[in-house]
Amino acid sequence: MKNTNFYIIPIVYMLLYTVAILVTGIWLFLLSQGLGDESIGVTLYHIIEAPVLKSIYGLMEVATPHLVSMGILIFLVAHFLLFSTNVSKAFSKKISIILFITAFANILAYFMISFGLFSSGWLKLLLMGSFVLLFVFVLLLVAFSLFSNHSKETSPSKFP
Amino acid sequence: MKFVISKDLEHSKLLNTLMMGVSLSLLFYLVFDVILHGFIVGSDIPTISNTLYGNVDEFIEPILLDTLLLQVHIDLFMSLLTLMILSTMYIRLFSEEKKTKWLIHLLFILGLVTPLMLLVAYMSSLFFVYMWILMLLAGHLLAIFFAVRIVKKLFSL
Repeated sequence: MKNTNFYIIPIVYMLLYTVAILVTGIWLFLLSQGLGDESIGVTLYHIIEAPVLKSIYGLMEVATPHLVSMGILIFLVAHFLLFSTNVSKAFSKKISIILFITAFANILAYFMISFGLFSSGWLKLLLMGSFVLLFVFVLLLVAFSLFSNHSKETSPSKFP
Repeated sequence: MKFVISKDLEHSKLLNTLMMGVSLSLLFYLVFDVILHGFIVGSDIPTISNTLYGNVDEFIEPILLDTLLLQVHIDLFMSLLTLMILSTMYIRLFSEEKKTKWLIHLLFILGLVTPLMLLVAYMSSLFFVYMWILMLLAGHLLAIFFAVRIVKKLFSL
């Protein structure tokens, strides 16, 4: 274990992979709502007005692997905040909990439409947007910690 | 990653055994993954072409974009997990070698670009199918090389 600087390389690529996974995930969701036949604006409008009806089987088929994979991915990304000396542990804990909650809410949001609690898809869009923005924020925090803090690993925390 | 970096566990025999187990598991996964892609997309150029672009003469419809995108989405996630685990162990064992840094860069770039290349091939031409095959095999062979070296090194410790 002579050269610990090398560990930065997988972390940087992890950030890129995560962005690619988020982009393909959003693209897949929009495709399922009719993106192939219409523009993004029209698709978003349709989601808000009348989201595509999905069966419980269809939702379970999507939700089940996502519960595992999103949990693992959030853990994988957020655990690098443990190494950060720029971001405090208390803040890391709060942001990780909020990220997990928005992820679960995002996965389960479509069930509310299928069960008839909501006829509009605005809640799904709101939760999906919140989850993606929050995840990007955590990715930026990890990147910030990685690049700004590399030479002063023992300094006290500066972030809230 | 923290367990692998921790100096307290630098000489832990249990950690070495666990690392050997996960390396062997990933080794089998990598071999099976290539075979699985052969079944899903095709194992030769005419079959891959039929899958991606369809074939009017044989009444074969091209694969749907959402089906292909789902495969790419899954491949990206699986690559991320596999390569993070392999590269972390490889750095722990071979960080003194100069080529380690460049091999890890190459491995991650191949792992990221290969699934995206399949999408590009779907949207453009057969040339990118050749690129995809080349990158898929190169990436998997490099990852297998990582896994084999890790197992060999751990055996000798």
